[in-house]
Amino acid sequence: MTYAGPMRPPHPACDSAGVLQIRELTKSYRRRTAVDRLTFDVPEGRVTGFLGPNGAGKSTTMRMILGLVRPDGGRALVHGRPYAELDAPLTRVGALLESAAPHPGRTAYHHLLWVAQSNRIGRGRIREVLADVGLADVAGQRAGGFSLGMTQRLGLATALLGDPPLLVLDEPANGLDPEGARDLRELLRRLAGEGRTVLVSSHLMAEMAQTADHLVVIDRGRLLADLSTAEFVARHARARVRVRAREPERLLQALIAEGIAVTGMADGSLVVEGVGTHRVGAIALARGVTLDELSTLDASLEEAFLRLVGGPR
Amino acid sequence: MSPALLRAELTKIRTLRGPLTALALIPLVAVGIGVLNGWSVRDSIETRNPRLRPDFTAEQAGFDGVQYAQLAAIVFGVLVVTAEYGAGTIGVSLLTAPRLYLAKLGAAVLAVLPAAAVATVLGTAATQLALGPHGASLLSPGVPRAMAGAVVYLALMVLLSAGAATLARNALVPLAVLLPLVLMGSQILSVIGATAEAARYLPDRAGARLLTVRPGPDDLSPAAGLAVLLVWAAAILLAGWAAFRHRDV
Repeated sequence: MTYAGPMRPPHPACDSAGVLQIRELTKSYRRRTAVDRLTFDVPEGRVTGFLGPNGAGKSTTMRMILGLVRPDGGRALVHGRPYAELDAPLTRVGALLESAAPHPGRTAYHHLLWVAQSNRIGRGRIREVLADVGLADVAGQRAGGFSLGMTQRLGLATALLGDPPLLVLDEPANGLDPEGARDLRELLRRLAGEGRTVLVSSHLMAEMAQTADHLVVIDRGRLLADLSTAEFVARHARARVRVRAREPERLLQALIAEGIAVTGMADGSLVVEGVGTHRVGAIALARGVTLDELSTLDASLEEAFLRLVGGPR
Repeated sequence: MSPALLRAELTKIRTLRGPLTALALIPLVAVGIGVLNGWSVRDSIETRNPRLRPDFTAEQAGFDGVQYAQLAAIVFGVLVVTAEYGAGTIGVSLLTAPRLYLAKLGAAVLAVLPAAAVATVLGTAATQLALGPHGASLLSPGVPRAMAGAVVYLALMVLLSAGAATLARNALVPLAVLLPLVLMGSQILSVIGATAEAARYLPDRAGARLLTVRPGPDDLSPAAGLAVLLVWAAAILLAGWAAFRHRDV
């Protein structure tokens, strides 16, 4: 899939009220509170990752933003107004939701055709977005025969159809293969580069750390963090370094002498916490220990996220 | 109900096999049953079959095919709505237009009116042709009014079915209630002494007065039948609208 569409000029600034504001948003289903007095703003022109474990309330929040679920309390304002009050809403907000799927009996083209007509979007846009998400060749096929990944792409095409300045995407990476996931990351970056605002949910921290400028983390319907990705990394990610030495014992003693936390692994490598690769390298050099491997462990952000939401469940 | 929404809803109807097939069946059934009915009655008349109804008139027989075509109209009304609910398409629809209920009903009526008009004209004409020398003119007294009534009746049955499907959000329940009702339920109820009086006010029995060429003295008048059917349709549509508005997706 190639998202090599024509570059669009950046969107003019919208209402000063902010692109997307969530205020004290609350929703309960019977006795379970799905979303609990949630308040945050989505920064304009950037990709905001909406993170939380499964069941945290992300989808419910997004459906309230889009007027599909009535909040018990609070408000979600899109361009300063409730979604239901927007005129030709698809030209203001593009959305991808699991609970908003194309009819399996309709072709991809016909699905986009009626959506375009409903919001007075020109027919020419249909071919553009189909090419944009790599579905041009299957435009005449029924959506029911699509794979999960193709259905996701058709959903993305629907979201992009109205050329909206704001996109709300619920788990868009679901069902995508690694190549599709990479294309999605590029698409999101490109959309932000065009000045659009993107709110994208995920339950995978690593995925978001690569894409998002800003992170909003929730669990059990409550806000846990609302900060830039760089801040999140600086604050939460404990640096962890894997090091493999010719003489692990000597390196171990040297690190302990420096007051650094070290764990010896079964394969003979050491995992060092709290310092970066440069520090470990320097210590090894000072002691004349030869290193076979010195690397940062990628899982650290994921673990920071899990610690934040109270560990794996 | 903006023209754009109406247009989109019409596109939805014409790009799905189910509703489109049901729509096409309305004139096909009216003509098919009309022809078979005409042949069969002609044969009965010419062989002096004693089982021919004593109250038979060629004018009224023309509408038998239309009566059966209402089955397709009911299926159409139900499918137009339930196409939204099977796969979660209603989510996309609500994103495009948070208030699409009226546009959907409007599109269903716009789609069914030509189908119902064709079904009525061709169905009655086919019956008269099949009756041969026993056929009556479509311009006989009462027939043009009954033809207009048939088109209105089919459109109202589509609306009523769409309202019922909005309440149920599936095709099974409204079809399981409406099809047996119009096929035999209200006929059975109307011949049982205890329920006969009440059965006159069932939507299809009351609505059938619209298709009656020469109403009997004890029957509801066509206007009264229309009023009763309108009350039924309005009540079910309002209930559907209320459910639609207050539902989370």
